[in-house]
Order: sequence, then C-alpha cells, then structure tokens
Amino acid sequence: MGSLGSELSTYLLLAWLLPLFGFCIEVLGGRWGRNRQDKRAAYLAIACIGASFLLSSFTFYRWGTENHWQAFAASDDSGQHSVASLVDDGHQEKAHGEDKHGKDGGHNEHAGGNGDDVAHADEHAAEGHADEAHHGPGPSYSGTFYTLATFGALNLSIDYYIDSLTILMFCMVTLIATCIHIFAVGYMSDELTDEYVDHNAHTSDGNHVHRPGRFHRFFSFLSLFCFSMLGIVLAGNIFQVFVFWELVGISSFLLIGFYTERKSANVAANKAFIVNRVGDFGFIIGLMILWTYCGTFSFGDTELGGHEQPGLFSMIRGADGEIATSGEDVLLKTSGHDGHWVAPTEGQPTKTLPYFLLVTAGLGVFGGCIGKSAQFPLQTWLPDAMEGPTPVSALVHSATMVAAGVYLAARFYPVFTTEVLLTIAYIGCITAFIAATIAVVATDIKRVLAYSTMSQLGYMMLAIGLGGWAAGIFHLITHAFFKSLMFLCSGSVIHGCHHEQEMPKMGGLRHKMPITAYTMLIGVIAISGLAIPGTSIAFSGFHSKDAIVATALAYMKLNPVHFLLFLIPLVTAGITAFYMFRLWFYTFTGKPRDQHVYDHCHESPAVMFAPLLILSVFAAGCALGGEGGPLYQMIGNSEPLGVAAGVEHSGVANIALPSHHDIHEVHSTAGIAALLAAALGTITAFLLYCRPVVNPETIKRQFSGVHGFLVEKWQFDNLYDAAFVRPAHVVGRWCAGFDKNVLDWILHSAAKTAIWIGTVDKKFDEKIVDGLVNVVGNVTRSVGMSLTVFQTGQLRQYVMFIAISVVALFALLFAFMPKA
Amino acid sequence: MDNILSLSALIFMPTIGALALALLFNNKAVEAMRVFTVVITAITFVMTLSLWSNFDPNETGIQPVVDGVNGVSVEWIGTWNIHYRLGYDGISLPLVVLTSFISMLAAMASWSINKLHKGYFILFLLLETGMLGVFLALDFFLFYVFWEVMLLPMYFLIGVWGGPRREYAAIKFFLYTLAGSVLMLIAMLMFYFGGGNEFNILTLTAIGQGKVPGLHFDEFTQITAFILLFIGFAIKVPCFPFHTWLPDAHVEAPTPISMILAGVLLKMGGYGILRIAFPICPVGAQYAAYTLVAIGVISIVYGGFAALAQTDFKRMVAYSSVSHMGYVILGMGVWKITADNGIMVTAGRDYWLMGMNGAMFQMIAHGVSSAGMFFMVGVIYDRVHHRDLNQFGGLFGLMPLYSGLAAGIFFAGLGLPGLCGFIGEVFVVLSTWNFSPVLAIVAASGVIITAGYILWTLQRVYLGSEYKGPHADEITPMNAREATIAITLLVMAVVLGVYPNLMFDVMNGSMAELVDGMDAGLRAAQQSGVSITAVPTP
Repeated sequence: MGSLGSELSTYLLLAWLLPLFGFCIEVLGGRWGRNRQDKRAAYLAIACIGASFLLSSFTFYRWGTENHWQAFAASDDSGQHSVASLVDDGHQEKAHGEDKHGKDGGHNEHAGGNGDDVAHADEHAAEGHADEAHHGPGPSYSGTFYTLATFGALNLSIDYYIDSLTILMFCMVTLIATCIHIFAVGYMSDELTDEYVDHNAHTSDGNHVHRPGRFHRFFSFLSLFCFSMLGIVLAGNIFQVFVFWELVGISSFLLIGFYTERKSANVAANKAFIVNRVGDFGFIIGLMILWTYCGTFSFGDTELGGHEQPGLFSMIRGADGEIATSGEDVLLKTSGHDGHWVAPTEGQPTKTLPYFLLVTAGLGVFGGCIGKSAQFPLQTWLPDAMEGPTPVSALVHSATMVAAGVYLAARFYPVFTTEVLLTIAYIGCITAFIAATIAVVATDIKRVLAYSTMSQLGYMMLAIGLGGWAAGIFHLITHAFFKSLMFLCSGSVIHGCHHEQEMPKMGGLRHKMPITAYTMLIGVIAISGLAIPGTSIAFSGFHSKDAIVATALAYMKLNPVHFLLFLIPLVTAGITAFYMFRLWFYTFTGKPRDQHVYDHCHESPAVMFAPLLILSVFAAGCALGGEGGPLYQMIGNSEPLGVAAGVEHSGVANIALPSHHDIHEVHSTAGIAALLAAALGTITAFLLYCRPVVNPETIKRQFSGVHGFLVEKWQFDNLYDAAFVRPAHVVGRWCAGFDKNVLDWILHSAAKTAIWIGTVDKKFDEKIVDGLVNVVGNVTRSVGMSLTVFQTGQLRQYVMFIAISVVALFALLFAFMPKA
Repeated sequence: MDNILSLSALIFMPTIGALALALLFNNKAVEAMRVFTVVITAITFVMTLSLWSNFDPNETGIQPVVDGVNGVSVEWIGTWNIHYRLGYDGISLPLVVLTSFISMLAAMASWSINKLHKGYFILFLLLETGMLGVFLALDFFLFYVFWEVMLLPMYFLIGVWGGPRREYAAIKFFLYTLAGSVLMLIAMLMFYFGGGNEFNILTLTAIGQGKVPGLHFDEFTQITAFILLFIGFAIKVPCFPFHTWLPDAHVEAPTPISMILAGVLLKMGGYGILRIAFPICPVGAQYAAYTLVAIGVISIVYGGFAALAQTDFKRMVAYSSVSHMGYVILGMGVWKITADNGIMVTAGRDYWLMGMNGAMFQMIAHGVSSAGMFFMVGVIYDRVHHRDLNQFGGLFGLMPLYSGLAAGIFFAGLGLPGLCGFIGEVFVVLSTWNFSPVLAIVAASGVIITAGYILWTLQRVYLGSEYKGPHADEITPMNAREATIAITLLVMAVVLGVYPNLMFDVMNGSMAELVDGMDAGLRAAQQSGVSITAVPTP
C-alpha cells in the first residue's frame, strides 16, 4: 500500500477513535460525583467529534491534493492510481468514448428546446465533461489495523478501506454529528438538574417520575454511537462492518431507551434491537457463505504471509467488473498479480461458488441492510424509535445509522448479482410508497419525519437496485443534511412548545419561532425536490431525486416489465411533497389551534438555532451544480467498475441495467416529471392546509377506512405481533414445559421405579430369600433401604451409600482384574 | 521433580487452605475465615498466572517438557500402571486460569453465606482442588479421581447451603453426574484393556491416532467409547436432553456456587471431550460429528426459547447457559470429511480449527459472562430475597452502578461485539456452514432469540418507572466488594472481546495439533481397514 494510504488511514483512525476516547471518559466520569449541572461531558463530546470532523476534512484535503484533485478536475486523467485500484486500460477507453457520446447526445437532443431543456442540456454537458475525469473507480487504499485471529489461512482483522466514499461519509457524519452535539447541549439542558420530572413516565400512584438528570450519560451514548458509526464507514472487511453494525445497534438501543422510566421507550428500544437482529440473521448467513467459499471477508486485496490475496470484490468482479461463471458456479478470480485478478485458466487450481449461493449471500447481507435502514418488511421499528430524544432521531435515525444500510448496499455492490439488485429495487420501491402513505396521516411531527426517512431510504435503495449507484449515494448525502436539519427543527419546535409533539395542537408558530420555521422550510423544499423551472437553481434534494428518477426512467425503458419501479417512485415524489408541506403548513402557518401551547412557545436559544443555520446551508447547497457539481463528482470517483457502462440483459431475472449514457438520454424527461409531481403535491398541500378550499377533515371522514388502515401503519405491528412475537413466547413455554413434563417426568419415573424395585426386592428378600441366602439378602436389603430413603428425606445417607458403592465397585473391579 | 512439586502445590494449595481452616480457625471467626479463603484463592490465582507467563505457545504438546518428555509424572499404583501424571497445554491452561480466577471471585462473593461458615469454606476450597486437578491431570485414572473429588463438595455445597428445594436439586445434580461418571468409567476400562493396560492419556491418544505400532483401538471400541464418553461429558456441559439438572441446581445453589457451577464446572464437560473423547477416538468423533453439531444447535435454540419462558431470574440465566454451551458442542463437531485418493480426509481443516478454537473461546467467555450474570442475580437477591422477573423494575434509578455493570455483563451474554460472548459465538457459527448449511442457518437464528430473552429480562428488571416487588426499602447501592467483583468480570469481558488473541495465541497451537492428530488418526484407522463413509451433512 502506498504511503498516502497509510497516511490517510492514520488520520481517519484518529478521527474514528476520538469519540471512543470521549465515551470512555464520559461514561466513567459520570460516576465520580460531579454535580448534575456540569456540562463538561458535553464539551468533551463536542471536542472529540469536532476534532474528528477537522481530521476528516484534513484527510479530504490530503486525499485531494495527493490525487491532484483529479476527481474534480475537468480533463486531468493522468492521476496516480494506488496499487489497490483496479483500473483496466481497455475499460478506461470504453468509458471515455461513451461519455463523449453522452455529452454530444445531450447537446443534440436538447438543442432548440425550451428553457427548461436547455438548462438540463447544460447540466448534461457539465456531467459529460466531468465524467471524463472519473473512468471507473478512483484510487482506494486498504490495509490492516489489527488482527483479531488467524486460523491457518483464515484471517479475521480490523481493516480499513478508504476511497472517496469513505472520506465523504466521514466528513458528512462528523459534520452532522458535531452540529447535533451542539444542538443537544441546548435541547438536553433540562437534564442539568438533580430533580428531573419526567412528565411522560408515571408511577403506579399516578405521579410523575422524579429522577436525577442524566445529561452526561446522553453525551456518552452519543459518543459511543459516533465511534460505532465511523467504524462501519472505515471498515475494510464485511465482518468488521458486522461488528460495528451491532455496536450502532446497541448505541441506538441505549439512546432510544434513554428515558428508561418510560415503558414505551423501553419497548421501542427492544423492538429496534430485536427487529434489527432479524436482519442480522440474514447478514450472518451471507457472511457464512462468503467466508466458506471465498475464505476472506476483505473488501480490498490483502497481503498475507508475503503474498497477495484478492479481496472479495476482486474475487467476484476481477479486473473487468464481470462475474465469471462456469456452469452453475461462479468462478472466483483468484489468479493474477499486482491487483489485476482474473479467473484461473485451465490447469490452475480453481475456487468456485455456486451461483445461487452468491445470490443468497447477497440477499442475506442485504437482509442486514433491510433491518438497519428500516425497509419493508422490517420497517416497523423506526417510527417507534422516535421515543428517543430528538437529537438522537436526527443523528441516528435519519442522517447516519439508518443510512448505513444504504451505505453497505452501495459498498457491497460488486457482490450483488442482478437478481439481488432487482430485489433491492423492489424493496426500496415498496418501502418508499408505504412509508409515504403513512406519513400523510401521521400527526406527531417526529413520526411524519420518521416515515419520511423510511420513504427516502427506500428511494436510495431503489437507486442502488436500479444500477444508479452514484444517484443513491448522492441522495444519501443530501438527505442526511436536509433530514437532520428538519429533525433538529422539529426538536426546536418540541423544545419551544414544552414537549408538545402533536401537530394538531400547533399552528402559526412561524411568528413565534421564525428561524426554526424558515430553516425548516429550506429542508421541506429540499426534500420535496422543488426547483425553479427553466434554471438549475434548486436545493440539494431536487438534484439527487432527479438523478434517481432519471435512473428509474432509463431502467424502465430497458426493462418495460418493471415499469412500477418508475411509476411508484414518481407518485411517491408527489406524496412526499404533499406530506412535507402539510407538516410545514400545519405547524407554522394558519391560526394557533391550541392557544396555551402557542402562548408558551418561544424561539430556541442560539446554541440550538446555530446548528440549524449551518445545516440549512448544506441542505440548500451541498449538491451545488447537480450532477456536474463537486459532490456528485466525488461520489462518482468511488463508483464500482462496470456501473458506468451498464449491464446487458442477464441473469435469471433477465435484467439490464442502464449505463450513464442511457440515463443522460432521459434525464430531462425525468426531471420534468419529477418536478411536476412535486409541484402537484405542494399545491395540494397548500390548498388543503394553508388556504383551505376543502377541509381535510371531510376527506378523512369520507375515506375513514383507508385512513384507519394508514393510521394503523398498514397493520404491520399487529400482524408481526400475531405471527412472530406471540408464537415465540408459546414455543418458549413449550420448551420449558417439555423440560418439566417430559424430561423430568422420565427422570422421576426412573427414580420411582428404582425405589419400587428396591421395595419389591426388600419384600422378596424378607418373604422368600431371607434365611436362605443371608449374605446376599442383607446386601440387597441395604440397597432397598437406602433407596427408600429417597422418600424419607435422609438424602445425605443415600449419597454416602452411592459413594461407598462406587468405591466398592472399584475394589471389586480391581480384585477381579488380571494382574499385569 | 521440581515441576511436579510446583504443579502439585498449585492443585493442593486450596486443600492446604482447607486444612488450615479446619485446624486453626475458630468457628466464630467468620470474617477471618472469609478473608483467609479469599487470600488462599488469590494465591492460587497468582500461581496459575505464573504458569501462564511461563507457557511456551510454540510448544504445541503438553508442557512442561522435561528431557523431551511431555508432562511430569510419578508412579502411584504400580500394579495397575497408574501414575500421578500432570501437565498442561493450550487447551487446559486457559481453563486452569479461568478456574482460579472464578474461584477467587466466588470466594469474594461468599459473604452472603450465613450459616456453617467453616464447613462451607472448607468444602469450597476442596472443590477448587478438584477442579484444578481435573484440568491438570493427564492420567485417566487420576482424572477420574479428581472428577469425583469435585463432585462431593459440590453436592454438599448445594444440599446444605442452597435454597428451599436444595435437597432435590443436590441429589439430581449428583445422580446425573454420577451416571456420567459411570459411563466414563466403562470407557476408561475399555481403553485400559484394549490399549496395553494404559491409563496415560497421552499414550492412549497416540494409540487412538494410530501412532503406536502394533496397538490400535478398533472401530467398535472407538465408537462405543466415544458415545459413552460423550454422554458422560454432555451431561456435564450440559446439552439437550441431559440439561434438566442445571436449572434446578442453579436455582437452589447459593450465588458463589452458581458462579463456579456455571463458570467452571460446565467447562469440564467440554474439556473432557477435547482432552479424552476426541483425541483418543477420532473414528468415533467423526462417526458422531453430525449428531454433535445437531445437539449443539438444538441446545442453542431450545435453551434460548426455554430462557424466554422463565419467570425466575436465575432459571432464566441457567437456561441461557444451556444455550451458550450449545455453541461449544457445535464448534467442536464441525469436522467435515471428503474423499481424497480413496480415503476420507478432513475437508476445510481451517474451518474446523476455527470452530474448535471458537468453542474453546466460548468456554472461557461463558465462564466470565455467566459467572457475572449469576453474580448479578445474587446481588439483587441478597437485597430483596426474591427472583421473580415480573416483580422487579426500575432498578436503574435505584442502583445505577449495579444496573450499568449488569447491563454490560448481560450484553456480553448477548454476544455484543467488543465483549467476550461475541467472539466465541460468531466464530463458531461462521465455521459451521462448511460442515452443514442447514444447521448453520438454525444456529445463526440463535442471535434473534438471544437478543429477545436478554433484552426482555433487562427491561423487566432494570428499566421502568418503579420497583414492583417486596422489600423495596432494602434496595441499597452495591458495596465496594460487590462492585469489585462485577467490575473485574466486566473488564475481563471487554479484554477478551477486544483482544481475543490473548486466548487464541495460547490455544491455537494445541488446537491445531489436536485437529491434525485427529485427521491423522482417521487416516491411520482407514489404513488399518476401518471403512469410513462420508455421511451427507445437509
């Protein structure tokens, strides 16, 4: 590995471990009798995560400089590639040609069109232009920090894998986390007391629970979470991802259940962890398959015992990005040198993996993603997770942890076959739709955002499943900013309204809390995907959603059977705009619906609105330049081999994936469609909730059946309770009952039989044998007597007898044993 | 001679302590006896640590090696070729250290014993001698003697100092283990008469693996002996369906005895399999491999479900032991074979090695985490005198330090990364697919059930708005002694979870020798005419 790799890994290692250091100090320091007003835990946590952010930024700077900013540069393709980067020259040429074609095509197609089209054409030009700079993947650096265990040729370790995606995620996570940490100092300030009254927790006599504040504990859990999350991002092998996957799970458990006195919070925390474990069950199956057949978990190529070994990506995709098959099996690419791996030729030892197992492994690992990213059918935990304090919802349950599922799906993309990708696409599509429909009827401000998060995560999954790798990650990043912004805004509202979360009790709040209201509006516009027609002026969400819809349209053109994968997201885009503006209008405009709440409501202090301002800048501008902008370019730098060129119809599912060129072709159409949908949703929301022409209550009454179904979250909770939770308890009781009624019964029967035999024996002795064979009779009687002791309770005597008889048995055995 | 003296000193250190207690201490000097016992166990612990520091991980056989001979011995009963033979390797050494470690902590946890103190501490120390002896003995006869030596103190410790149903529990424990001992006795005699009147485990191993010219155990002997030994040891582990003594014994045993029972005694079963049943009977082990794995998997799932249904805190933890020890049997059994040039040889040796190491690690990890869990139950039981899971709640607010430490230890049981339970479980599960995909999937489902019963328990005991049971006014924070025990265990759980090589460095060599020796044994048996067929392992 190059020296740059080890340099970058050192910075990121530090950035990763700092929050762990913070956690250790905070969790131990909380014990030693500091007063409850002490804010030092928060300052330490902020210092750690802030320093992590600075280190991440510096890493970004070093990475950029050393690679001559070639990811962003227009025509500098002489950038240096690390050993680990697998760039096939032939492929470079191909991508190059195609991109030129795309550029030209864009111009031709849209020449002389209306203003909107021209804007798109310009964008395409920029894209085509920039695409020249990133043929295939940019450099990636991998290596090992620490070996966990080695068994023969098998090696488990803590590795790193650094490419532009890693660095980008590091910057995003640490930046948002820093903002949220600062926000939390204000939001959690009511914990700075010896006597915190929890109005949502009651004792059996109906009083509120009084407890000491737990300010420091909150920050220690946040630090633990940051450490775990960064661990996932830095991970250089899939096993390590699993390790930190579990750790973010437990951090999430601790944070959701932060208000331990509230039953609802405990139940939600348990639910989150256990539902995630269902996904992890699949994850483990994936791990087992890959481990057994590939013998490595490593993403990148490794060196073990002096000779090079291909990592998972190289083994499956090799130098050309294609899966090599031989009959029913996948031929693993284990032959090669200098990071250029190909399938073994005749006579060389081969390593194969049945194709259906590769599919199973992909589905299994994706199962983990389903759980973590709250996708259908494991989506039920996320809304309940809103029981946690709002900064947690913003950090863990919108911006970072739940996006880790998408991140992993993207990171593990080379291992996924087209069948797996199709599954991912449908899961994402279904989730996006279901969640959006529920969000329409939710009235708790945080739950609306939770459903919206699920829905947007569905979009990302969809994009990845459709082969729009960069579009999915693009949306991940933009969503992280605008959704964390909106969650913090909702937190500001909740804080300002003294823990009122029900929107029906709000209204008109923009007069009381203008900063919150208008930063929130930025987020709402961003997620809705609104733009000014005829220009490319738009907030971040427009660009990323546009990229996804364009991918979906191109996909539908190639695979008309799967037209739903375009239509449903499009409809959902409209619903998204509708429910988000509904939320905003409901909360911030109109007349106050609960005068009491309104009167006591106030704008949040600077420590809370400052992060809102920072995040709103990013929510608005992080995607500047759309697909020609720096963010998308940086993502594109990590795009796996072969994505740009698309995939011809293949696999059991007979799926073709669109190339970049295909997507560019339909980009303007898709853009208009998405914008129309968003505008329609916005207008509907405006007419229902801002300047009502129809009373929403009327609609609700007319569709009460549908409304009830949606309020009950499509009945998933009730269904799972009946199908899984209760049966598990029943099976548990069966097992316990089997022990008691069968196994112990057998044992007790055996004991009783022994006693009975003893008694019979005794009678037999007394009546018949006694007097004839005195010696034998006495011995047997003592057996019988000692066994009846079992009933009288003189057990020690009995045990003594057994011990003596064992010794006697020995003596007999030795006595009759032949002398050696 | 030096070596044999120092190893003997280690084994009999607690006995000397017991003698001193019996002769020198007044019955009323309770505090002095407590402290004395802790000191004795601490000295023993330090002695095992020095054994650890002198261990040479590159020597894969038995240590100490004196003049090229593995282990140390003196003749004991010449007529029967019985030797007093001791030694340790990477398999037994971690267990020796675990024994002295858990014994020390259990001695510190013995303050709650409130009657017949002298008798209790004497038996406690004798028990430790028995346990150390089992792990250090290399003569089958000596092993058997120590096995029985350990049994009687345990019987009395449960039967006299236990809970309301102590006599039932004690006799159940005793009879079960005795049944196992008898099976072991038969196998021992089979080896003795079939292997040239030999009790030396090392020689028997060599014979079993076909390394002694002119001597071998035939197929019938190997399979029969293996089955007998396995049942004997499986009772001790315990695995389904021989486990019903465990919940009763645990529920009735006093806290420190539960810690030893779960922390050390259960490991003797696993150790017996690794030291005796596997190396001496490779053909039998291969014959039964699928059954072993299946039993392991059933134990994992069955134990987990049964734990879910319990309302007694200690019973719940006891069933979790059944579940966790299932991984031990599972990891050992994943010995896949395949045809190569006409004979059956090990397929995927490294995966099996990983499973064996994982199983061994799981024994140590479970020793730490289950002892911790039982201790945590004991702490709250000492205060409120009940264990009904539905009558706790809200302890987090009342005993924050205790609850935090308990959460950490229960997370170790849950198999959370960074804590000891994770490494053993996940390594074993990962190694299983190579042997049997179906059983691997069932084993993997254990993660869901485990999360279910542990988190549900945590919720019912520690979380919630208020404590719902009796004796609420007696709930006091942990004292320094209790906190020391819990912190030590939690730190150990973290160290093992973060730095598993602490164990693997020691174990790996001996484990590899065992694995390769068994493979060689299987080959040798086939050359001497035994026909091995690969059973399909779906």
